[in-house]
Amino acid sequence: MNSSVTMDDSRFKIPPKLTAVSVILLGIGIVSAISGFASDPVRIWGNVLICNYYFICLVIGATFFAAIQRITQAGWSAMFERIPGAISGYMPFAAVLTLLMVFFGTHSIYHWSPHKAWYLNFPFFSLRAVIFLGAWQFFMRLQRKFSVNEDKVGGLQNFKKAEFYSRVYIFVLAPTFSLASFDWIMSIDSHWFSTIFAIINFVSAFLHGSAAIILITLILHKMGYFPQLNSAHLHDFSKYLFMLSIMWVYVWFSQYFLIWYGNIPEETIYYVSRTSREWNATFLANVIINWCFPFLFLMNNRVAGNINALIVTSVVLLVGMWLDIYMQVMPGLTGKNSFGMIELGMFLGFLGIFIFAVTRSLSKANIIPANHPYLNESFLHKAH
Amino acid sequence: MLKTDTNENIVGVFDTEEALINAIKNIKKSSFKIKNVFTPYPIHEVFHELGLTTRLPWLAFFYAVGGTILVFAFLYWTSVIDYPISIGGKPDLSPSFIIVMFVMTILFGIVLSLVTFFTVQRLYPGKVPVIIHEDIVDDKYVIVIEKSNAMTERDVVAINKLFVSNMAIEIGLKNDVEAI
Repeated sequence: MNSSVTMDDSRFKIPPKLTAVSVILLGIGIVSAISGFASDPVRIWGNVLICNYYFICLVIGATFFAAIQRITQAGWSAMFERIPGAISGYMPFAAVLTLLMVFFGTHSIYHWSPHKAWYLNFPFFSLRAVIFLGAWQFFMRLQRKFSVNEDKVGGLQNFKKAEFYSRVYIFVLAPTFSLASFDWIMSIDSHWFSTIFAIINFVSAFLHGSAAIILITLILHKMGYFPQLNSAHLHDFSKYLFMLSIMWVYVWFSQYFLIWYGNIPEETIYYVSRTSREWNATFLANVIINWCFPFLFLMNNRVAGNINALIVTSVVLLVGMWLDIYMQVMPGLTGKNSFGMIELGMFLGFLGIFIFAVTRSLSKANIIPANHPYLNESFLHKAH
Repeated sequence: MLKTDTNENIVGVFDTEEALINAIKNIKKSSFKIKNVFTPYPIHEVFHELGLTTRLPWLAFFYAVGGTILVFAFLYWTSVIDYPISIGGKPDLSPSFIIVMFVMTILFGIVLSLVTFFTVQRLYPGKVPVIIHEDIVDDKYVIVIEKSNAMTERDVVAINKLFVSNMAIEIGLKNDVEAI
């Protein structure tokens, strides 16, 4: 038996250039952060927040996707299980970066920080960040352990445990992610509040986390991994993007519409600034990129099953997610629509860390889980 | 379009989905034409093998778009042109249209698609269905081949043999079967 050889073959080998690329991207990020820090530190901290939150959302969305697959015992996605697992490899980096941001940047980002309200004050704020990040890291680590153990020992015990802890995870995720989005994003406009805010951010994370999984899977397929990927998988992937983009615009519009209808000044101020001349174009671009494009593009059945169309849609959505978070952070923070080299550079810096973390995590285990009970169903998946 | 005719049909009953698909593939290779297939649940491969396509999704799309336009025109005419009323100082043409347009898009899309489907399939409430085989709502799969006037006795024997060689568990005759 040469099973060890095939196991090695099914592992992702990090192309040597890719590590160099991620280091260069990180360098670009650091240079842009330093270059802008002297003139406008608030803008730099705003960008740190945007990028941090961006990649945390990708990790949250991707792991939620995986949890849903486990809870529903979905067969079709069994062979892609390692992709959200690899994305969750970014979580320790995210935790460290977020804690650095919380400890050094809170006073620059959040204007409530000098005050001592019972909820929004610096010690409790940092404690919550530690709890949220710790809880997510704990559950992601646990899932990863079950998944890797399943490769080694086989059987059903790891599969059952993974399903049980996925259920626990989504219940833990609901309050922690809601409060995290209130803490990190909504508290920037601290006199404004929206009770639908958490679900908008959660759906956005789910949508874009799925886009990240799809993009990584299809890039790997183009590199020769996942030879079993067929058009039925592609159709299922595009159904996720299609459905979630509708869901996203549904909650997005609900918030906008209720505030518009209610017409209470302390609520409308949020949208008054965002639909002002300076922000109007980005405001509309956000909806067009995150909803109109995937909705109209993926509606056609033939496009929905096309691999390049899906790659394009995923990339567009991942750009759209940055825009979505940018629109939630910057108007309330600096008030200036300052998209430029610093924004781009700092995003690339974080992207470098993300690529480094995800590829490292991906290379540590088989790219296709060897003993997943639904693996065969996944290989033979057909459209129904 | 469906055609009901008075010709007798040869009906082959199968026990498993695999046997049915296999039989369809083999009958396609022969000179006989499948008139209809009945299964307890939709089987994607049957649509695929029989080359069945539908334009209903396109129709549904145009119904929905038509509904959006129609409702927008109605709202615009009533609350902007004919009888504008200022409510809370909101503009006459306003986002409040969107919810109504959204709901009516769904309503038009669904109701008109349903009406089209029922018309094309000649379905109506209270229609008495032709029972091809009493187990097709349970666990049996059925292929129907029409016994046309042009067929000789030898053809009929050949069809029977074809069914038997493809694991049909039962063969019968039936009138009034609709073609696909």
